[in-house]
Amino acid sequence: MSGFTTILRKDLRLELRSGESTITLVFLSLLILTVLTFALNAPGGDAATAAGALWVAMIFAGTMGATRALIAEWENGCIRGLLLSPAERSAIYCAKLVASFVFMAVAELAAMVLMVLFYNLDFGIRLVRLSPILAMGALGFAALATLLATIQVRIRGGDLLLPLLIVPVFVPALIAGVKASNAALAGLRFDAFAQWLKILAACDILFLAGGYLLFEHVISED
Amino acid sequence: MGIKAAHWLGVVTLAIMTAAIFMVFVYVPTEAQQGNVQRIFYFHVPCAWAAFAAFALVAISGVFYLWFGHQVWDDLGCAAAEVGMLFCTLVLITGSIWAKPIWGTWWTWDSRLTTTLVLWLLYAGYLTLRAMADEVSQVGRLAAVVGIVAAADVPVIIVSVRLWRTIHPAVIVTRQGSHGLEDPRMIATLLVSLAAFTVLSAWLLMLRFATLRAAARLTNLGRQLALTEAEMADRSAQHVMSSRR
Repeated sequence: MSGFTTILRKDLRLELRSGESTITLVFLSLLILTVLTFALNAPGGDAATAAGALWVAMIFAGTMGATRALIAEWENGCIRGLLLSPAERSAIYCAKLVASFVFMAVAELAAMVLMVLFYNLDFGIRLVRLSPILAMGALGFAALATLLATIQVRIRGGDLLLPLLIVPVFVPALIAGVKASNAALAGLRFDAFAQWLKILAACDILFLAGGYLLFEHVISED
Repeated sequence: MGIKAAHWLGVVTLAIMTAAIFMVFVYVPTEAQQGNVQRIFYFHVPCAWAAFAAFALVAISGVFYLWFGHQVWDDLGCAAAEVGMLFCTLVLITGSIWAKPIWGTWWTWDSRLTTTLVLWLLYAGYLTLRAMADEVSQVGRLAAVVGIVAAADVPVIIVSVRLWRTIHPAVIVTRQGSHGLEDPRMIATLLVSLAAFTVLSAWLLMLRFATLRAAARLTNLGRQLALTEAEMADRSAQHVMSSRR
């Protein structure tokens, strides 16, 4: 895939210099975790609430901030350059997807630490089991968001539309992710929640394949 | 697909629907456990069938639109989404009306209800996209992509929601699997009602589709007219220029 590494390196370098996506995502996650504590009236709740809060933070922070790398191309007028370059459309998609995933992964790591602090959990093997679940969720979400953000950026008021498009499609990954996260935080091993991991993997494959195949139909400079 | 064909389909719809209503309210016996409220079942299930079938049609026309590029497929997808949204809303409303006297609650997170709610949200996203993207030139392609992703997601949603509910302790025990229809009259009524709603949704679809096709033809005519006018203005300008020499 020509252009993939070039575009990805550019986005990562930009992010290293400005940090706008990652830092915003971290702060949004912190905000959402705090609001949920007030809203659910459960300060220092339990592991089940913790996992749920983490996923809510992932979804809504991700909806707002994960696709900055892609949207900035339109705002800066760079999208025409990208489309005229010899880079394949699928390469653009994969590069943007991986960039969004990296930003979300960093934010998830920070959110996980916050979760441990807020919900009085332990740093230990349970977090190690939790990490791949969060990674799979972030990957699927990034795949969906990168595809649908191209729609958002072309419509007036599209940022209001994006959650309505992403969240229902993401529901199975959310269900599976929260269930698996609950199990991981409760100390269960992988085989106890294997079926949820399978569903999460199926969602990831579906979103990645869908995005890869359909991206060229939605990307355009206007 | 003209308006005339739609009129004939309308007549057929009226006939079958009248038969269905008669069967639901007069012919079929009252169900032993639930009483007369159970009759809403004969409207509720066909609405659900219509909603899911329309969604499949949205996805299929999306694929064909991306493949062939002909506006006809986009119009079909749009019409199917609107009809499907109508029936999906009816499923949720009739379901709630049925649930309240039987289960004592308007809503429960039963796997079928939850899946239907998510389907409703998918429809809402699709239609909101169409409404907001009206002035974008390639709204058909965007809508097709959203429709395809959503429809491909539906089987995964069904599986995950079902798994989610069976592991959770059920607050309210619902009848999964077969509907437990013992009396053959009930089965006959259900089949007639299914036929009635299928024909009804096909008729509504055809009406909406014909309207969209007419609008597309009108837009094309408008474009042709503008082109012709421009051509004529150009020619007359050239005529004036050459006659001045």
